[in-house]
Amino acid sequence: MRLTRKQFVGGAAGTALAAAGIYELADRMTSAPTRIATGPRPPEQHLLDGMRVVTDNNVEVLVPPLHHQVVTARLRVGESAASLADARASLENALADLDARFEETPAGLGVTVAWGLPYFDRYVPGQAATHIPVDRRASATRGHEVRVLEHAIRFPTDPPTTQLEANDVAVLFRSDSLANIVAGARAVFDELSGLFDVTSIRKGFVGGGFDGGPGLPKQMAQAAGIDGADLIPHGSELFLGFTSTQKAGLGPSRIANIETLGYSDLARSGYFAHGTHMHLSHLFEDLAAWYLIFDFQNRVDTTFRPKLDVPRYTQTVAQGPEDAQTSAQVARDYARYRQIGHSGSIQPASRLERDTIGRDGTMYPKGTAVPQRADFNTLDNPFFWTAHPGRDEYADSTAAGLHFVVFNPTSDDFRRTRLAMDGVLPNGAKLDFEVGSTGRGFNSILSTTHRQNFLVPPRVHRSFPLSEIQGH
Amino acid sequence: MRRGHNVVAASAATAFAVALVIALSACSGAESDGPAVAPAPAAQVCPKSSRAGWQALANKVRARVYCPSWLPYPLDERFDGVFNGQTVDPDRSYLVKFLFFDAGLPGGPQEVHVIFRGYPGNRRLPRCDNSTVEDGKVVHHFSPCFSDPNGQKRFGSKLATLYTSNQGADQWHLLYAWRESGSLYTVSEHVAAPYTYAQVLHNLNRMMSTLVRIEPRAAQPS
Repeated sequence: MRLTRKQFVGGAAGTALAAAGIYELADRMTSAPTRIATGPRPPEQHLLDGMRVVTDNNVEVLVPPLHHQVVTARLRVGESAASLADARASLENALADLDARFEETPAGLGVTVAWGLPYFDRYVPGQAATHIPVDRRASATRGHEVRVLEHAIRFPTDPPTTQLEANDVAVLFRSDSLANIVAGARAVFDELSGLFDVTSIRKGFVGGGFDGGPGLPKQMAQAAGIDGADLIPHGSELFLGFTSTQKAGLGPSRIANIETLGYSDLARSGYFAHGTHMHLSHLFEDLAAWYLIFDFQNRVDTTFRPKLDVPRYTQTVAQGPEDAQTSAQVARDYARYRQIGHSGSIQPASRLERDTIGRDGTMYPKGTAVPQRADFNTLDNPFFWTAHPGRDEYADSTAAGLHFVVFNPTSDDFRRTRLAMDGVLPNGAKLDFEVGSTGRGFNSILSTTHRQNFLVPPRVHRSFPLSEIQGH
Repeated sequence: MRRGHNVVAASAATAFAVALVIALSACSGAESDGPAVAPAPAAQVCPKSSRAGWQALANKVRARVYCPSWLPYPLDERFDGVFNGQTVDPDRSYLVKFLFFDAGLPGGPQEVHVIFRGYPGNRRLPRCDNSTVEDGKVVHHFSPCFSDPNGQKRFGSKLATLYTSNQGADQWHLLYAWRESGSLYTVSEHVAAPYTYAQVLHNLNRMMSTLVRIEPRAAQPS
């Protein structure tokens, strides 16, 4: 279906759910990668099986699904137990149907249902107080009880206009097939439209030229007439010109589960075992500034760490445990160059400080990454569709950006990592930068528009979590 | 009518918009390295209104300089244009700029900024100093002023390298640099509205294709 962006805004969410817009081009510009067969569905909703691994520049790289979509919504469901039971059954049936139709792989359809604090506060406050785990690490640090799910905050480098959202639910759809994503989104938000008031639809893509070719980001940005698109390196996986899905740079298997690293008490019931936390944000990327102001070495310094020596125009840089920086190393870079790298600065917070045996029995070595990212390039401005064009400052044009989706064990774990990106390190050191300084990683060319935290229940509780339990 | 500065009246703004549409239309379909970017060869004459300025510059730096026979609309080629200017350093290196800027146009600010540089007797890329103050001391960090070479293109006898990430007055500019007779020369243009990256590259190709060499003249005995 072809519609202009103006028609999207004027139209209903259902129309936008079925429309591909400019993202239809992605299917014409590349073909779906070969995927491997998989086993049974894991208890985690956020894990996607069947990810292909390629080797680029001697570094193992995961090949994410080509297409991504996030739909956020407020609920139209009554607060009575009967209403919630009906809603739960309807959603679960729809999700079970999707499970039956599609395997949980990029070749099929990955569906992750995440719930925001407004849902827990309004519908199941008593159950939430009992069953949402306490983040023991954060509670000890801050001196008061902190749950694994907190409201999102504005970070030091966020503009004051960054909106902290209050959606009840967000659903992440991932697939190599746009048609599968449309089928999934319609099954949940169109066919069950009585349950949801859709607030936003966010679409995008990921796809480097690992099999040759210019890669989707460059082609899509050029097609959209984005400033700086011509300077995106041939084959780049993301708009900013570097690979970001190095296998060693992403949390392995169940490390981002709420229970694995023991950050939380998991509550007595263990209700959210195999669940995780999801942060969702949107940010604009100033590609023209990135490529015209920063030369290649500046971009390496900014993306990884100052004075990192890699061959010119390298896109995939090793990000293994041995490449991770410590707080002391980041502080040393700051003292010497008045600059920190994006990856380098977050690694003291995002990597394990010591060898750790997880509750899943896996030994995770020191330096292992914890966050599992599912971020994707977008041309949304800032969303593909929104119920609130004015509030969301929707524009009828394309813009380069990123829908940032990341799974961490807790809200606090994400917060620590994001603060480190701003120069607030886990050891308490605060590295001061002038406003707009190019020394603080990517921040000078990014502008975050929206943020919200969500709790991702295990698969068994993905539909209206806690509503099946008697409230107090 | 003098062009290139303080177009604030609505009628002037409208005229600018119309002219720009025409100018941009002329650029349509231009690819980054298309061979048909230059206008008729007859255009390769240093405009009368700027020839004296370029000649004076060549005499002052005692080296050949290059006069553009074409500049992107709406630049004023005269050396004494309101936003135009030139500087010559003690080492004879020079900078000549042509600038149009208007913040009051419909659709937002527009800027057209072209810079011509020459480094007589010096073939090396200049280095820029990004000094920082660390513990009260100034620490110098030098790096090439022109960076990210992005291919070469031949314009007659000139083999020019395109640099896409540049510093100083050439920041945000695409820049061609070439070496000739022991000297380095550059031409750059700011990537900014109303021109896109592709249009700026088109403009640069056109300027490079139509440069006119101006040789210094010996000082006349008084």
